[in-house]
Amino acid sequence: MDTTAHTIPIQEAPIALATVDRNFYFVNCSDQWFEEFGLVHKNVVGKPIHEVIPNTPVQLKSMLENCMATGKMQEDELRHLSPGGSSAWYKWRIKPSKTDNNTTIGLIITCLNTTKSKRAKELLRDAENVAKMGGWDLDLITNTVYWSNVTKLIHEVPLDYVPNLETGINFYKEGESRETITKLVNNAIMHGEPWDTELQLVTAKGREIWIRTKGKAEFINGKCIRVFGLFQDIDEQKRAEIKSGQIQERLDLATSVAQIGIWEYNVHEDILEWNEQMYELYGVKKEDFNGVYDTWKACVHPEDKARCQQEFDMALAGTQEFKTQFRIIHPDGSIKYIKANAGLFKDADGNITKMVGTNWDITDQINAQLRLDINKESFKGSFESSAVGMALVAKDGSWMDVNNSLCVSLGYTRKELLSLTFQDITHPEDIDNDLNHLQPLLEGKGDSYQIEKRYFHKTGRIVYVVLTVTAVKDIEGNLSHFISQIMDISPRIEAKKKSEQFLEITKNQNNSLLNFAHIVSHNLRSHSSNLSMLSNYLLEEEEENERKIIEKMIFDASDSLHETVEHLNEVVQITTGAQEQMREVNLNNTIMNVEKNISALLSEKNVECDIAVDPKHKVKAVPAYLDSVLLNLFTNSIKYSSPQRKPKITVSSKKKGKNIILDFKDNGLGINMERHGEKLFGMYKTFHQHEDAKGIGLFITKNQIEAMDGKIEVESAVDKGTTFRVTLNAE
Amino acid sequence: MGKFKNSCIIDDDPISVFGIKRSMKETNFTDDVVVYTNGQEALDGLTKMLNEGKKLPSIIFLDLNMPIMDGWEFLDDFIKIPNTNTEKVIIFIVSSSMDPRDMIKAQSYSMVNNYILKPILRKDLVRLMSELDIKQP
Repeated sequence: MDTTAHTIPIQEAPIALATVDRNFYFVNCSDQWFEEFGLVHKNVVGKPIHEVIPNTPVQLKSMLENCMATGKMQEDELRHLSPGGSSAWYKWRIKPSKTDNNTTIGLIITCLNTTKSKRAKELLRDAENVAKMGGWDLDLITNTVYWSNVTKLIHEVPLDYVPNLETGINFYKEGESRETITKLVNNAIMHGEPWDTELQLVTAKGREIWIRTKGKAEFINGKCIRVFGLFQDIDEQKRAEIKSGQIQERLDLATSVAQIGIWEYNVHEDILEWNEQMYELYGVKKEDFNGVYDTWKACVHPEDKARCQQEFDMALAGTQEFKTQFRIIHPDGSIKYIKANAGLFKDADGNITKMVGTNWDITDQINAQLRLDINKESFKGSFESSAVGMALVAKDGSWMDVNNSLCVSLGYTRKELLSLTFQDITHPEDIDNDLNHLQPLLEGKGDSYQIEKRYFHKTGRIVYVVLTVTAVKDIEGNLSHFISQIMDISPRIEAKKKSEQFLEITKNQNNSLLNFAHIVSHNLRSHSSNLSMLSNYLLEEEEENERKIIEKMIFDASDSLHETVEHLNEVVQITTGAQEQMREVNLNNTIMNVEKNISALLSEKNVECDIAVDPKHKVKAVPAYLDSVLLNLFTNSIKYSSPQRKPKITVSSKKKGKNIILDFKDNGLGINMERHGEKLFGMYKTFHQHEDAKGIGLFITKNQIEAMDGKIEVESAVDKGTTFRVTLNAE
Repeated sequence: MGKFKNSCIIDDDPISVFGIKRSMKETNFTDDVVVYTNGQEALDGLTKMLNEGKKLPSIIFLDLNMPIMDGWEFLDDFIKIPNTNTEKVIIFIVSSSMDPRDMIKAQSYSMVNNYILKPILRKDLVRLMSELDIKQP
């Protein structure tokens, strides 16, 4: 059968077309095919298809195999990826080529390059997604509604959701939005009116969002067959818009409440525009304001006018920012303080076109500041002139400022004091106490405290003060610094110490007086009572011998009385006039002298003397008393030496503070201190069975030492020895 | 027969002792009297008496101001003598001291019956005997 004459050769087909045999080897193809795949006219016949078409996707091969196997036509759109990454889309159609007896002898393949349209679709889809814009379509013939995927996404319904007109309308928010859309759709159907509006929608998930809906109707023969349009999620923009609207509103409200005036000056036209607050601020009526710069200038205080003009000109010239403060005179004559800021607007060429600025009333602030300044001034004044020491102390304890009184109290210059901390000049024993009081203030747990403490004067002497510390807080309530008031009470303390000393002296004198009264009571009265008793007996007694005895006793008693009075007189003499006779005496010389005077006695009793007194030691003493004291100590030691031992007397001295301490030690009989300690220095107290013991020596000694402002103490052990410790003033 | 069998005077002042003894004689106060001149001597003497199985004096006149051991120290030590009926002894303090501190101190010793200011005269002993009669019928 000759068909060639009636058939168009494959090569000339207007599409890319090829035939392959059962093994997918090329039989032939159209010129379009060559063109499409960029093949030169080579002999492709007899070559496998994947060699002819580059980048053949695997799906194509399976399409070929399927077609061969099933004998059915295959159709699909496939993407061809080149190794370089570029891609192309082809729509393939594969049909079996059959003989009359229905056996497949090969395949007919057509291919259409769909890359362009595919791209366009993809772009459209991307655009839909990016713009959150979907499409919808209402077919009034079939009464069906179509929503694009994006539309469904906007409604937050699943992609397989099938809407209808009613459900679609019901997504609109009840009320204004739903009423509006119903009316718009009706208008479109009835009158062909398109719409484009913004409404609120409640999504399937219950979210309220803003959308833009756009629609128009299609008419055929005067009858509406279709309404279709766009659907866009504009929630974010809308909310932002609403918000900015609110912000504007708030700003307006704020400027009105805060009384901030806003002005705008058009440079070229010399027109000044004011907001409501400006009129209020300047006390000018809107109708009286002619909107020129000069009107404003007329309100400014004469003293500030020139400066303001200059600053305004400089701002206009762009040399300086307009940020100033000036006074205005209100129509009622009152003066207001205005703070003003402004910014410049320029055109494309950089020329200044207008100035926009703010004005606000800071009169109250200025007045408060003035009052504060006055307060500061007066604080500063009282700080400086205060008779009480005052200081501003930083949190770390350093002085921020100190006043003159404090400098005087502590003996430092202001400069010296400012370079120190309070710890530097505080008595070490008082630092902890001060810090313990300070801690709660640092922790914000208190406002002030008051303590007595000691500082060191620059010269090293102690300064007694009453310190009052008050915490000062900043505007946020945080600790800023401390104000310390330091009242120097040194003179008071000194006076107190002095009066305590006087009290001590008085107490001692009172004690001596009591002691004296006791002595009088015991020792004088014993004799007087004897005398009165004996006189009585003498009167009654008639027997001569007995009378003689009584008379003898009366003599003895009167002798004893005389002796006691002599002793007491001696004691009184000791304390009287002692102070006037005090002078500086070399201790060592005095001791050596006394030792020399009794050298006969010492050698007779074979006493060993070890005198180690610093020859430089000098004491304040009444020389006669000191002699008497030392003599008594020597003779006592000899008198009460132990017969068991060779007597030894050791005398030594040492200086302690303002005192010289003299230790007078022996190895004699010793005294039972537990028993006799208290009355050792009492009058007529004796503790040894000794014929010479009269109990007057130590009593006199103690009185003499005390008359010289000294003291005497004793340490002793029975049969070991006794040490008398005499403390005397060095200077 | 005197009022008391045995009496004791502890005093260092011989004139004072003489006076007491004389008043005792005049009032027939005691059969026998023993004298010590200070506390230590008295303590030793009384202890010796006890050791020899003798009866202690039933009344003691005690002076305060004495050398070696004064009246107070004697009182402190006297109560410490072991195995005796010292509480049966009546002690009178006899002193020339008018110092109130001494009188108050005397009251702090329970064994001290009274404080008599020197000089001791007849009338003192008479009153003392009548007071003791009331107390010890």
